[in-house]
Amino acid sequence: MSEMLSYEFMRIALVMAVLIGLTAPAVGTFVVQRRLSLLGDGIGHIALTGIGLGLLTSTSPTLGALAVSVLGAIAIEVLRARSRSGADVVLALLFYGGLAGGVVLTNAQGGGANLQSYLFGSISSVQASDLYVVAGLAVAVLGIVALFGREMFLLCQDEDVARTAGLPVRFLSVLIAVTAAVTVVIAMRAIGLLLVSALMVVPVAAAQQLTRGFRSTMLLAMGTGVLSAVTGLAGSFQYDLPPGPSIVLLALAVFVAAVLAGAVLRRRRTVTAAAVRPSVEAEAEVAGG
Amino acid sequence: MNDVPPFAMTGGRVRLDGREVLRGVDLRVGAGDRVALLGPNGAGKSTLVKALLGLLPLSEGRTEIYGAPPSRFRDWKRVGYVPQRLPMGGGVPATVREVVASGRVARQSRWRPSSAADRAAVDRALEAVGLADRARDSAHLLSGGQQQRVLIARALAGEPEVFVMDEPTAGVDAASQAALAATLGSLAAQGRTVVLVAHGLGPMEDLITRTIHLDHGRILREETAMRKSA
Repeated sequence: MSEMLSYEFMRIALVMAVLIGLTAPAVGTFVVQRRLSLLGDGIGHIALTGIGLGLLTSTSPTLGALAVSVLGAIAIEVLRARSRSGADVVLALLFYGGLAGGVVLTNAQGGGANLQSYLFGSISSVQASDLYVVAGLAVAVLGIVALFGREMFLLCQDEDVARTAGLPVRFLSVLIAVTAAVTVVIAMRAIGLLLVSALMVVPVAAAQQLTRGFRSTMLLAMGTGVLSAVTGLAGSFQYDLPPGPSIVLLALAVFVAAVLAGAVLRRRRTVTAAAVRPSVEAEAEVAGG
Repeated sequence: MNDVPPFAMTGGRVRLDGREVLRGVDLRVGAGDRVALLGPNGAGKSTLVKALLGLLPLSEGRTEIYGAPPSRFRDWKRVGYVPQRLPMGGGVPATVREVVASGRVARQSRWRPSSAADRAAVDRALEAVGLADRARDSAHLLSGGQQQRVLIARALAGEPEVFVMDEPTAGVDAASQAALAATLGSLAAQGRTVVLVAHGLGPMEDLITRTIHLDHGRILREETAMRKSA
């Protein structure tokens, strides 16, 4: 542990891991409830074109990825709202275009070898300046969740009800997609674009095995996210493994454990409920009759 | 102000997937009316309710909420909508209290946390539908009738003037029917406006002031209930 902390890039990477572990599942809870679990994946593909553009124009790949993925997220939301039936195919076109465009652009620039680090994450290349960008974006994401969380919750529950509560449904939908896009950029350095969305979805899937509420699911998912990100990163340093896949495999392990624990928990609850139920029903009958 | 009706539709037509589901409906719901929309499956009851709220666009005709077309209506805290069911979504659980509390959103400021008044309104709503003891349970694990009560409580929590309920009685157990009738009774006592879709009225019959029978997207007939004792 102390050896690990003696490297500056590892200290930076660990702080990043905490930020990713907090933000990805926080946004992911809304994304999963909206049945958009693959949204992060799609944005990840699109972001690659941004990286290619950033490298090609010798500006920052991170800024390129941010700009392109935010635009991509807006495009996805507009397409989803416009066409109910054809959206599926249009989204697929957008995703493949993003991935192919990214590969071609990075190769044109001669950075083909660089591609791997963006696809699957690479922590040895992170610098302090990356950390400032990531920290700023993470604060923005968590701020949006805190500020708009109540409205996003109702939107994710029932879009019609949200509309009749006077909520700006279109704006909130785009906001969720854009927040997911920003999260993809936050996580891409450490986890990689192809696995980013796992950290949005898997901790939420794990948490919901054990919780009864939305807020508690989100908090437990954030805890799971931080745990898998930090442990996965430490493990990848220790055993010289790529960080992204290590983090994702750990999150999946937590998911499997949560499924098993959830099954036991539910069985116990059903047994207790069955023991209590007869007396409750008898009471109801007395009250009703 | 009082003469502006909560809902007024003239010549309302709605097309869904090329089929005309609502075929020229004139309907005015006045303040304090308690209207039941009756009719067989596919008569257009739910479509009418959604069109009244602006959730489905009219292909012809016009409709207004408190004098404004739905797209320009802003005072949504006056309206409470109870949909047919609680969608599962992606399966993220939500407690009964979380769902009910979300009914306050039209009255809340984005910049402030929930107030004591918000919490009190949520408590009252849970109490009114008899689910105060289930507040911390997962809403999706309740029975159909209890979920229906959760949705009603969500609308109650927003303290609207008009309640629009889409089939609150469908597949509901006796306890939930009774809770619904009691809720409707107290809304009636407060002079609130209610529009509800139903197959039959059952215990609610005495609380309804007007019944409208729909079939094939048209109003067949309208009956104004004779109040036995007002």
